[in-house]
Amino acid sequence: MEVSEKRIEEIIHSYQPDRRYALAIMQDMQREFQYVPREGMEALAEELQCPVSSLYAMATFYKALSLVPKGKHIIKCCDGTACHIRGASTLIDGIRRELKIGPGETTQDGMFSLETVNCLGSCALAPVLVVDDVYYGKVTLEKLKEIIQGVKEGGAE
Amino acid sequence: MIEITINGKKCTCEKGEFLLDVARRNGFYIPTLCHHPAISGQACCRVCLVEVVEKGRSKIVVSCVYPVERPCEVYTDSERVKEDRAVVLMLLKERAPESDVIDALCKAYGAADGSRFAAIDGEKCIMCGLCAGACAKLGTGAISTVLRGTAKKISTPYDEPSKDCVGCLSCAYICPTKAITFKDDGQTREVWGRTFEIVHCRECGAPVGTREEIALAARRAGEEPEELCPTCRKKKMTDIMAHTYGIV
Amino acid sequence: MKKQILICCGTGCRANGSMNVVEAFRSEIEKNSADADVIPQIKTTGCNGFCENGPIVKIMPDNLVYYKVKPKDVPEILEKSVLEDQEIPRLMYKDNEGNRVRSQEENPFYAHQQKLALRHIGKIDPENIEDYLELGGYEALKKALQMTPDEVITEVEASGLRGRGGAGFPAGRKWRTAASYDNFPKYVACNGDEGDPGAFMDRSILEGDPHAVIEGLAIAAIAIGAEEGFFYIRDEYDLAVKHVKKALEDAEARGIIGESVMGSSKRLHLSVVRGGGAFVCGESTALMASIEGRVGEPRAKYIRSVQKGLWDQPTVLNNVETLANIPLIIRDGGKKFAEIGTETSTGTKVFALVGKVKRTGLVEVPMGTSLRHLIFDIGGGIIGDRPFKAVQTGGPSGGCIPESMLDLKVDFDSLAKYGAMMGSGGMIVMDDRSCMVEVARYYTNFLCEESCGKCTPCREGLRRMLEILTDICEGRGREGDIELLERIGHAVQDASLCSLGKSAPNPILTTIKYFRDEYEAHIREKRCPAGVCKNLTRFEIDEAKCIGCDMCAKGCPAGAISGEKKMPHRIDPSKCISCGSCREACRFDAVKAVGRGQEA
Repeated sequence: MEVSEKRIEEIIHSYQPDRRYALAIMQDMQREFQYVPREGMEALAEELQCPVSSLYAMATFYKALSLVPKGKHIIKCCDGTACHIRGASTLIDGIRRELKIGPGETTQDGMFSLETVNCLGSCALAPVLVVDDVYYGKVTLEKLKEIIQGVKEGGAE
Repeated sequence: MIEITINGKKCTCEKGEFLLDVARRNGFYIPTLCHHPAISGQACCRVCLVEVVEKGRSKIVVSCVYPVERPCEVYTDSERVKEDRAVVLMLLKERAPESDVIDALCKAYGAADGSRFAAIDGEKCIMCGLCAGACAKLGTGAISTVLRGTAKKISTPYDEPSKDCVGCLSCAYICPTKAITFKDDGQTREVWGRTFEIVHCRECGAPVGTREEIALAARRAGEEPEELCPTCRKKKMTDIMAHTYGIV
Repeated sequence: MKKQILICCGTGCRANGSMNVVEAFRSEIEKNSADADVIPQIKTTGCNGFCENGPIVKIMPDNLVYYKVKPKDVPEILEKSVLEDQEIPRLMYKDNEGNRVRSQEENPFYAHQQKLALRHIGKIDPENIEDYLELGGYEALKKALQMTPDEVITEVEASGLRGRGGAGFPAGRKWRTAASYDNFPKYVACNGDEGDPGAFMDRSILEGDPHAVIEGLAIAAIAIGAEEGFFYIRDEYDLAVKHVKKALEDAEARGIIGESVMGSSKRLHLSVVRGGGAFVCGESTALMASIEGRVGEPRAKYIRSVQKGLWDQPTVLNNVETLANIPLIIRDGGKKFAEIGTETSTGTKVFALVGKVKRTGLVEVPMGTSLRHLIFDIGGGIIGDRPFKAVQTGGPSGGCIPESMLDLKVDFDSLAKYGAMMGSGGMIVMDDRSCMVEVARYYTNFLCEESCGKCTPCREGLRRMLEILTDICEGRGREGDIELLERIGHAVQDASLCSLGKSAPNPILTTIKYFRDEYEAHIREKRCPAGVCKNLTRFEIDEAKCIGCDMCAKGCPAGAISGEKKMPHRIDPSKCISCGSCREACRFDAVKAVGRGQEA
């Protein structure tokens, strides 16, 4: 969704003006805009009467928050221990070859972002890949190509 | 009152008093970096670590925030303290190879050999966070810790000159390793990517501070900003008092 | 006559497509059973723990369980097993002897388990409070309201229940201390920030039986005199967040919590806080900083959080699994709970048994069960019957345990003696193709990113240990590296601020202790015995074993393998990227890892 002052105000005012909601409010912004926009952080600082730097510290500390817009499709590659010993790094290398992006990066056309996550709690299906919140288990390099192709052609199934 | 021993010497202290204060009061110097009376509870540099034996159990604690709750034996220079401190100092030295303060500590207390590692080029900052603490408390919260883990650093939001900064230099003065660079030629002051104009005392011409910091101080005191140095301000107050009491 | 179709809809089964199976049953029932004698009821349940074989479909009261069910199987299941009483053998689980088994109880994966914390999961619909109430839900809370706080705490003390999050602190003692302060307000909180990679016990409980955890937290609040509480749940656990929120709404609507707790004069407000994606927030003081809306940095814990926790007020923080046990303890008495397990570690423990083991999933067994029993009897041994090498327990804070110690009984104290720990229950099995140096490097890298970065030993010590481990894995290891790792490791254990740092060297120190020869092979011979470290490994095909099935070539991302069908294949070393996909793909053990050092 396009960043707008109105939406930012709506998100901020859906909570009480209390410091304890700072993380939740920024998470809502992240969900809405795929990142925490600067104007959002500044408006929140104004509302909570706190320095922008204290929110910036949080936004860079918590992995769930991002300062730059993420791609349209988000690929989360699990690199938890179970996935790791069942070949997660081979998948990450595979994505690097297919899409020319590494963990934390977004393709130039803004279509894909790759994130590694520490464990999705689906270890029995290792290695696991999540594309736009759809889970894929026991992913091989061959299956990876199919998944990416599928997303390119019409979004995740 | 609680009775403890430090390196064998009997010492007394109040319950809850911090070990560092008790030790220093009794003549045992323990080195510190991130400890500052105005910014409490940092406990992150770890050079003030000591060994505490309580109920027959030995543990390493950092003395700056360890409250004495019951009688115990404290050792500020045991083999275990020396070994742990040597490694911590080595890690600090590889982190901030340009810092004279760290270098001196390593020489005084002995550091482990860190030649295996690639030191961080040109670095002086040990990431103790005192500057961010001082800025939040004395200044305006213009800087903070950013990121986490080994990537953690101190910066302004978005690494840009911060509009909140008033150029008060609290951050630079409190830094134990003098890692924050600034320039001050009496006319202008540069810090965190911004240049501030220095205001001079309208009576004697001595530099007072940046316009922004004077405004901040006045706002906090609920007064109008006045371009007076501390000496002339005092003089002005004295004149007013003298006038009030009819001395002149 | 009624029949229930229980369809597992935990995260694992959803990934395997269980929602499509639910849909298929819905539409098929609508089409076919309007005038049948049997009335089928669909129930979506939480995680059954055997995710690898999902989607799992259970037909009750017949106690007939089907695995790996696809939407196309649904018409047949409905026709034969729901409307009639026939079995479909191909969907039933095959046990060790190759027999098809009907019920969960006959399945070797479940047969050895004893379910307390997981007691309702797979039997109830977690989004339906009626299901929970039907099984006696919230009766323990009702009972606790009729007891004095002291009686409640005494019962928890009698149970011997210790914190399931890893540290094993006695829950009763924690409550007793918090209750002793008359400094109000007080808070309760549930630690659902399950961050250990390879662990999903808490996710499963929050998803599958949220009311049990709510009931546990409500009892804790009554016992210490708190009126507000929080569920801090990992950001990645969408379904868990959804189910807990729904459960809280339903419980409030029924007057179980809220302005009056079940009609009493007590108030209790509970809410969900989503974690921000930071492993360190599993540490209690960091978690509390995060709930307060700050950066999740721990503080020195010389003053404990039961005294000064959230907003500096007395706070009880318990783990999800700990809380799930509370209603049972209040309902049946602490003494009964203490009869299970060992003397100092009572009750059961849920483990996430994963990695290179045949049957992976969630298992709940009495404390004191041996590692061998867990891995070989329940887990069925190693995939492909390869040699067992190590089991990693306790996540990044834990250690790697070698084969010689497989008969250790797992509880809070026994593993700690050997430098490992039971931790929150992650159990990752490794075979001879897992490199122990690389495993240590993996955890250290994980912690470098996840450390909050506040204190010197953790931040800088991990940075330097990672530097050494990376060098060793990439062929630049030097003499003296092992000793230096040990030296830094011990200082980091001693001098770090919080438990993350204090336990961070465990994976390194235990792998050095039990697999020193692997480190030495990397450093001295520039060889990775497991064939994992790419710079030190090259793959070759044993022509005598290769049958030319072409499986390796198909999976090769670099196009480095060639050969005609039914003829031995070859790997072109100039193209090979040493990823090991071919070795995993080969069913004839024809692909061999060869050290690069041997080339020179």
